[in-house]
Amino acid sequence: MENTSTYHLQADELDALFAHLEEQYLVYAPVRIPSGGRYAQTDSVLYRPVHRYEDIEYRERSTYPMKEVLTPITQTLFYFTEDQYQESKPPAKDLLIFGRACDINAIRIQDQIYLLNGGVEDPFYKRVRDRAKFVLMECAQQFEGCFCCSVGANVTDMHAMAFSFGERDAQIEVSDEAFRDYFSQAKPSDYSIRFPEENELKVNYPVIDRMDMANRLKDHPMWREFDDRCIACGSCTVACSTCTCFESTDIVYTQNAHIGERRRTCSSCMVGGFDQMAGGQCFRNKTSEKYRYKILHKVYGHDARFHTGPMCVGCGRCSARCPELISYPATLNKLSRAIEEIQPEEVAHHA
Amino acid sequence: MVEDCNIKQMQNNCYRQSKVPDEFMLQLRVPGALIDAKWLDVIQHICQTWGNGSFHLGTRQTLNAPGIKAQNIPSVNDYIEPYLKAVECDLCNVQMETRNGYPYIAPRNIMACIGSVHCINANINTQNISHKLEKEIYPNPYHIKISVSGCPNDCAKAHFQDLGIVGCTRPIYDMDRCIGCGACVRKCEKAATRVLSLNDKHKVSKDACCCVGCGECVTACPTGAWKRPNRIFYRIILGGRTGKQCPRMGKLFANWLTEDSLLGMMRNWPKFSDWVLGGKPVYIHGGHLIDRAGYQRFKEFMLDGVTLNPEAIIAESVNWAETEYRSNIHVKPLSKHQTVK
Amino acid sequence: MLENPIKPHACEILDILPQTETEWTFRVANDRPVRHGQFMQLSLPRIGEAPISASGFGSGYVDFTIRKVGKVTDGLFSLQKGDSIFLRGCYGNGWPLERFRNKHVVIIAGGTGVSAVKSLVDMMYNDQSYAKDLHLIFGFKNTCSVLFSDDLLRWKNAASFHATYTLDAEEAEGWQKGLVTDFLGSIPFASFGGDYECIVVGPPIMMKFTGLGLLTSGVPEDHIWMSFERKMSCAIGKCGHCRIDETYVCLDGPVFNYTIGRSLVD
Repeated sequence: MENTSTYHLQADELDALFAHLEEQYLVYAPVRIPSGGRYAQTDSVLYRPVHRYEDIEYRERSTYPMKEVLTPITQTLFYFTEDQYQESKPPAKDLLIFGRACDINAIRIQDQIYLLNGGVEDPFYKRVRDRAKFVLMECAQQFEGCFCCSVGANVTDMHAMAFSFGERDAQIEVSDEAFRDYFSQAKPSDYSIRFPEENELKVNYPVIDRMDMANRLKDHPMWREFDDRCIACGSCTVACSTCTCFESTDIVYTQNAHIGERRRTCSSCMVGGFDQMAGGQCFRNKTSEKYRYKILHKVYGHDARFHTGPMCVGCGRCSARCPELISYPATLNKLSRAIEEIQPEEVAHHA
Repeated sequence: MVEDCNIKQMQNNCYRQSKVPDEFMLQLRVPGALIDAKWLDVIQHICQTWGNGSFHLGTRQTLNAPGIKAQNIPSVNDYIEPYLKAVECDLCNVQMETRNGYPYIAPRNIMACIGSVHCINANINTQNISHKLEKEIYPNPYHIKISVSGCPNDCAKAHFQDLGIVGCTRPIYDMDRCIGCGACVRKCEKAATRVLSLNDKHKVSKDACCCVGCGECVTACPTGAWKRPNRIFYRIILGGRTGKQCPRMGKLFANWLTEDSLLGMMRNWPKFSDWVLGGKPVYIHGGHLIDRAGYQRFKEFMLDGVTLNPEAIIAESVNWAETEYRSNIHVKPLSKHQTVK
Repeated sequence: MLENPIKPHACEILDILPQTETEWTFRVANDRPVRHGQFMQLSLPRIGEAPISASGFGSGYVDFTIRKVGKVTDGLFSLQKGDSIFLRGCYGNGWPLERFRNKHVVIIAGGTGVSAVKSLVDMMYNDQSYAKDLHLIFGFKNTCSVLFSDDLLRWKNAASFHATYTLDAEEAEGWQKGLVTDFLGSIPFASFGGDYECIVVGPPIMMKFTGLGLLTSGVPEDHIWMSFERKMSCAIGKCGHCRIDETYVCLDGPVFNYTIGRSLVD
């Protein structure tokens, strides 16, 4: 990157840096939660405000995605009384968010939905997004199931700084002028931050470039196995860096039923009720239909709307979180084969 | 000529009498039921060298070598010494003489399911607590049957032990992470005690008093809204037994015990047995000792010197339901009563 | 600061007009511009929000004809004249009015779908020179579920209107018995000289078979317009509930030409 400087900081300097950053920023990074995992004696790693360098869990991919910082699982939009809705307060500080290249690239997709879609900006997203800056976490090693390189999400320039993590020290590349002053006393370094160049897992991400192909795929038998395999729990979409769907719900306070909140809660197209209308009608009753809807949105729907390729950054969290061990890359491969099956039929048909 | 065998002594040494007068079956203890696979060579060697070539998987998860001639027992005891040292002394910290085989059979092998080293349902590492329990109950001349289940599914049959241990969790609910999908509610209804429900805030309410502590809600949750706390909890199911007279399923004795509370109570078992039996060990089910002493005395003994963790709850009384092969088997002349005062 | 596009505003209920036992029209104070076929998000604090199409509008008011089918609508039915409900919107594209001008217009609607075309029909009733003529096929389940009885009568008597009203499974005077699809043959498409547009709105299954029926009658796809109903939490293309592939019903619809609507597979 042009005009960057790199510094080498030791543990005590890093703690001073974090204290300094916290004057202006709420700093979010992946943090290890002991016993936080799905199974006993397993941990989870999720985004929390951090105060010291050592709070950051950099050795492992976070269990849950970075998007939770900008779009929390539960968020109060409005407080209501009998005659008005009052917007909830915006964050008190700017946000500085640590994430890997895939995580930061996922924000581009979040932006497309929350800021660009339909030409309407979501005010609750915008008010945090405008105040958020990102710190790239260098991937010193690959994690199980990463395939960022297959979807071009391995490189980013959307970050203000980049960290190469060490046990007791860090190499920090500064590219945003606003952060230069934090390093006036720091020791320069000639370290250069690296992006992942190749993943062990390579995915030939399918391309569906027209709606009739997407519609033909909807009838393909490849989805049937998921009626038995998938339990429609939504773990994949909650873990997904790019999924954005939410639900709006009103709640009232127990002691006064006339005041309450309108909340936005993370939702999932995999979970029952997602497509249920007021009268009870649903459009995708079978689990295979829900799964097909999710996959085709990632592969086709988003790209068809925004023309920016896969709605996927190859972070691998969906597969890592699936309790039924359904591999998303394996599904993509099946989808590619289904596309190949359909294509020659079509050629024959048109001939 | 039939060889002269002190079968009581041999049983105490973990060699079980067989139909063939001078053949015995060795039972190797495997507390917690998980050991290094290298020991399979040892049991195989015993079976093939001194036994009859067959191998029996003990119903209490012991490794059994049938058909060992009485005269070979000293050789077998020499041969198993490294196993005893490794499993009893090193793994479980048991203080015991290992030169002449097992000193006692009475505290039966501590059974366990595979637990959290493997199982997705388990709340606890069943081996760790089994090893600690082994240290508390072994060696000692008083009979006791213990098993450890990693979760309330109770695959290790805690309900049919004198003291059955069940690993539990008290999940913590982070409302802000909950998406109100109801996965935990459905799972609890299907797999556990239906203590969860979706409330009018689109979040989950819990009827905590009936929670069995299985952790199914944690496993089912797509967002990590339910989380196991860093601490683990134990339940004790008391007085279950099999047998010809009055088999019965155990009943809940203590719940939400921390490890300290559990081990503190288990440490009191030999003292209780010693008191009930007047210092003369008899190989009978622990439930019978509780019958003779009465539950209240049992409870006093077990709680003696134990500082319970604040969450712990203890049964004020216990009512077992026995299989009555013979009804009114408990009604008999006063002279035959075994109640200890 | 710009107005928050999803913040609801309190609006007074000016009148409540019961249509059937379970379907009422709420006339609500409104100064915001509304187009025929658009919808608004109605809120009842405590209960939630639902997308409801405007069944009519005029100076200072907008009408919503609402069926009691969910918790939001159940809550609405406990309100009275003078109470407030909360509105945001309008949302959606609405009917392409210019496409209908000076043409034969066919409107096939079922159940509460009629409320999505009511304002349009009234506009053409009030300006009977807008379209060449209007062919209505409106179907209801039974006499108890009939909406806008007075309006139906008024429309039936309009000079340039040809109205067929049907009940799915009930005999009643002035009503045909059967599904709306049974009466597609009564529309003289051949006499229109290709100069016509069809509007279809109703439950998804009714729209599906009506669309197919129109094709069978020789109606070209691009002469058919449908209004879709989907679950919506935001109405501004964020929540994802109404998305069908690349299409967001709240943004790109709810009205779709059949050339597009036909290929929208949920």
